[in-house]
Parts: sequence; structure tokens; C-alpha cells
Amino acid sequence: MEILRETFRSLFDNKLRTFLSMLGIIIGVAAVMTIIAIGDGAREEINRTVSSLGSNIIMVTSSIFSRFASDPLEFKDAINITTMVPGVANATGLLASSYVVEIHGKNTTATVLGVLPGFFEIMNLDVVYGRPINEEDSEELRSSAVIGYNIADKLFGRQEVIGERFNIIQTGSSGSRKITFEVVGVLKKTGSRLLFNIDDLVILPHTVADHRLFHASGRTGQILVSAIDEKSADLARMGIDFYLYRKFEDSKKYTILSQDAILDAVNQITGIFNVILVGIASISLVVGGIGIMNIMLVTVKERTREIGIKMAIGASRRRILLEFLLESVVLTVIAGIIGMILGVFLSGIIVHFGKAFGLSAVFTVKSILLSFGVSAAIGLFFGIYPANQASKLSPVEALRYE
Amino acid sequence: MPGTVLELREVWKIYDMGEVKVEALKGVTFNIEEGEFIIIIGPSGSGKSTLLQILGCLDLPTKGEVIIEGIEVSKMKGPQLAKIRNQKIGFVFQGFNLLPKYTALENVELPMLYAGVPAKKRRERAKELLEMVGLGDRLNHKPTQLSGGQQQRVAIARALANDPAIILADEPTGNLDTKSGEEIFRIFEELNENGVTLGVVTHDLRWLEKGSKIIKLLDGRIEDIEVVRHVGNT
Ligand SMILES: Nc1ncnc2c1ncn2[C@@H]1O[C@H](COP(=O)(O)OP(=O)(O)OP(=O)(O)O)[C@@H](O)[C@H]1O
Ligand SMILES: [Mg+2]
Repeated sequence: MEILRETFRSLFDNKLRTFLSMLGIIIGVAAVMTIIAIGDGAREEINRTVSSLGSNIIMVTSSIFSRFASDPLEFKDAINITTMVPGVANATGLLASSYVVEIHGKNTTATVLGVLPGFFEIMNLDVVYGRPINEEDSEELRSSAVIGYNIADKLFGRQEVIGERFNIIQTGSSGSRKITFEVVGVLKKTGSRLLFNIDDLVILPHTVADHRLFHASGRTGQILVSAIDEKSADLARMGIDFYLYRKFEDSKKYTILSQDAILDAVNQITGIFNVILVGIASISLVVGGIGIMNIMLVTVKERTREIGIKMAIGASRRRILLEFLLESVVLTVIAGIIGMILGVFLSGIIVHFGKAFGLSAVFTVKSILLSFGVSAAIGLFFGIYPANQASKLSPVEALRYE
Repeated sequence: MPGTVLELREVWKIYDMGEVKVEALKGVTFNIEEGEFIIIIGPSGSGKSTLLQILGCLDLPTKGEVIIEGIEVSKMKGPQLAKIRNQKIGFVFQGFNLLPKYTALENVELPMLYAGVPAKKRRERAKELLEMVGLGDRLNHKPTQLSGGQQQRVAIARALANDPAIILADEPTGNLDTKSGEEIFRIFEELNENGVTLGVVTHDLRWLEKGSKIIKLLDGRIEDIEVVRHVGNT
């Protein structure tokens, strides 16, 4: 391990240069660390949200939803599935879109949903003031709305707002219209669940939402189903498949997703996303590696005479090669460690400011080992050429070098 | 019985500079026996340094054979050559060639490090050698903190570190004043009296009386070999 002492000695001799040449790797590793940590955090968060629903949730999406589709999913189907399919507890269609809501000059953006009354049970929502949407609201086309915590807070500054009115602003080609709704219920502060942030919801009877906002004539892009319990989920799933196949006579026109399938899909998407981001961040690692190679080539040039002396007193080519290779590997590994520490700080800062968006960071042994391995590999890869140059010098010529 | 340390047979060194070829050595043949003190002289450009580099396995001849302790050098592989330089040869240069970042002690230790000598033994031997050349009180000085003569003495200690078969020196007093030069003479003389084989290239005629054999080079050829005194069975 004497050779390591020599490595540190020559790195310490040139502290500033050593540090500057490490910067590229430090930044690269920090970036990769941060991205992986945030990515893993996001995935974990999403998985938790999806799982929080329980494994009895089944989602049906139509592959061909459009207002003019010849045979779309309909709210009727949700009602039929609820009554006809064994194992199903509840089902609802889902009209969803973002709208600006306002009252007395205060406004905010809400996710407006048109649903069947069963939605509240499926999503396991807590109504803290007032009541959920019910059948009469739907049948009598009442302008009733249940709103999330944030909506109540931003429009009224308080939660007990039953009976208050507010407007949904619909902008179309002929200008914007205000449509007035009455608050019949307020939801407990909940956070995200499945695909929505519950606190930002405005929930309307589907008939009203369809008639006044969505103009979908009873169609829906997706149907959300809850099975009676986990054990009936498979039975329900098969029943839904049977029902939909009879309706469409083509299994390509709809997709049935269970919680597992949703998790798989989400993980796949976040995984791809992660790989792309890490790929981009890796570019800085490559640039850093080239920087290391450059500095090592300069070092070899500068130390030509030293190499000559060492060879003259009996250092083998292998020993010279090892000395320089070790120097670049130690350089990049130290840079990697600094980068990791920086990455932890960086993700801490990002999480601090990104809490509102549900960002969190997760550090795994895997990502730490990966950073180690990658920085050592960069040192090896970009150090081998300069080290080889050094070891190939002829002793006589190296000694003559000024 | 003393044996042959080094043999040169018809050694040629031709530097190929593209258009011109410089024939630095043109068929040099001689032996170095154990215990000899060889002085190599000759005008500038006659091939003295080239010859010494080939003797010291720093360079290989273009033609001819170099035999060290019975083994032909050109047949050796890289690591073997490094080992020969490390264990059989001690080189002393005109410009000292110490490592500037290392202390005197560390400079002397380095050949032993390459030879795989354990740290403690290394340190002890390096200390001993530095004391022997009169630098017992300069162990932790760096080369820049030493005079030229002192640096050259460190270099001699380093050359002796692995107890080599021969010490080769290329104008070891060339960069020194007369007084420092004389100290180097004295050390070499002492070494030879203790049986160390020496090969010294010099311009300084005061060396002539110290040597046991004087090789005169002229234009890449041996012009004359003068045996001053016989060593062992030669
Ligand atoms: N690397 C080299 N490339 C080309 N020619 C060289 C090289 N080294 C030496 N020579 C030539 O070989 C010849 C002998 O050089 P060498 O250095 O051996 O002479 P020298 O006797 O040591 O001279 P000096 O007393 O000046 O040191 C000279 O003509 C020199 O120019
Ligand atoms: Mg010379």
C-alpha cells in the first residue's frame, strides 16, 4: 500500500489543480445521485398513493374515447357494472378537467370531476361538512358541488361553507361563461390519492357536469370500480371483462387495470423517465472524465523526468502504469464521494422547496454503490490511456526531458 | 574468485534520426571484472554516455551483445530489465536526478521499495547509507535544501541501496566545484577499496590515477585500454 501513499502525495502537491480537475466528476455524480434519489422518492410516493386505495380498485379505460366515438364507455356501463357484475361494490364513470373557480374576486384552479355518487365510497373520501353528492343531485340536475380542502380555503378562507355559492369559469370559442354551483359538502384534507390531489377537487353530479361543462352525452373515458373486498377483485375483473366484451365485441377497445397493473405502468413510466434523466446527467460525467484524462496527460508530461528517474532505479513499466492509473482512480473516487455528499445536500434542498409538489428523496445502498462504481470506472477508463503513455516512455529519453 | 560482472561484444548503437543515422558506438568489446574501477574518457560526442546507458540497461544496443552475470540483455523481457536496473546496477548522474518532492531518506529508500524490501528494513538501510556518505544529519532534507555535493552523495547512497553488482556514474563531478568533487572521489575510492565495482565517465583527469583500468573512447570506438593496476585475477 506504499503506492497509495505516493498517489496521495502527488495529488496533495497540486491541491487546487486536483480539486479543479475533480469538479466535473463531482457535479456529475451529484446530479446523478440527486436525480436517482428524487426519482426513487417520486416512485415511492406514487406507489404509496396508488396502494393507499387498497388492492380492490379496478380501472377501466376506453381506448377510443372521444365525444364522437361510435361506441364509447358510458356512465350507463358504470351503473350496469354496479348492478350486474358479481363481486363489484361500486362503480362510477369519470369526467375530469381543470377549470378556474372563483367567487368575490378570489380564484384558483380546480380539478373538476363529474361522477356517480358511488365515487365517494370507491375513493374512501371523508366529507367533514355537509354531505356527498347523492342520487337526487344527479336526477334533478342540481347545481350541487362537494369541494376539497384547498378549494374551500382559497375561495372562502374557511371550511364550513355549506350553502355558499361559487362559479366555475368555462372559456370557449364564444368567450367565457360563469356557471354557479352551491357547496353541499367539504372534504377532509387528504392529499393525493390515485390520480388526483383530493384537496384540489370540485366534485359534481355527472349529469350536471356533462350537461353544463363537458357535453359528453353520457360518455366517459374511464370507469372506476371497487370490488367488495380483495378476494372478489379477480371475480369482479372477470365479470367486467365479460360485460365489456359483450358490449364492444372487441377486447382491444377497452383496458381493465387493477392496482398491480397501474403500479406496473407507473413504475415503468417513472423508470424510463429516470433513465433518460440519468442519461443526461451522465454526459457531465463523461465530460468530467475527459477532464481527468486531460489533466493526467499534462501530469505525465510534467513528470516525464521523474518517470525516467524511477525507471532508471528499477521501477517496472507496470509499476509506473499502476502509479498513474491509481492516481486517476483515487482522483475520481474522491470526487465521487464529494459528489455523493453534495448530491445528498442538493436533493435535500430540492425536497425542501418541492414539498408542495410531493417531492421526496430516497437514498438506497444501490445508488451509493453505483456512484462509487461509476466514479472508479471513469478513473480507470479515462486514466488508462495517460498511464499507458507514461509507462511506455523510454528511460533514456525520459531522463533527457527538461 | 572474482567473476565477470559485465561483458560487451561488438556493441553498436545507431541513433536513427530519419535522414541521418548517428553511429554513436561502432563495435565496442570489453569486460568488466568484479572489483574493477573503470574510468571511461574521451572527447565530447565520442559515445561515453551512450556506452554507460547501455552498460546500465537504460538502453539496448542496436547490434551486439550485452551480458550481465551470464545473461544476454537483449533476450530479457521488460520486467526483467527493470529488475536488473533495480538490483544489479546503481546509476549516478551528472545532474543528480533525485526526486525533488522526496526527502534524502525517501530518495534512498525508493529502489528498495521497488525491490520489495519491508518498510522498517528500508528505513534502517537508507539511514546507514546516508550516514556512510556523511549525511546522517540531513536525512529529512529535500534535494533543494542540499548543496550539489550533498545531493550527489544522496544519489550515491541511492545507487548503493540494493547492493548492486556495479555502480555506473556519468560525469558525477561535472556539476560540482573542486572541493565537493574531491569528496565524491574519496567516496568512490573508499567504495572500490571495499570491493564495489565502478564504472565512471569523466572529463576530469584527476580521476585517472584512481582507476584500475582506463578506457579511451574516440568516435564510437575504443582507442585504447590502459590497465593501471590489476584487480583480482585480471
Ligand atoms: N538520443 C540521441 N539521439 C540522437 N543522437 C544521439 C542521441 N544521444 C546521443 N547522440 C549522439 O551520439 C553521439 C555520442 O553521444 P554521447 O552523449 O554518448 O557522447 P559523450 O561522449 O557522452 O559526450 P559528452 O562528453 O559531451 O557528454 C553524439 O554524436 C550524439 O550527438
Ligand atoms: Mg555524456
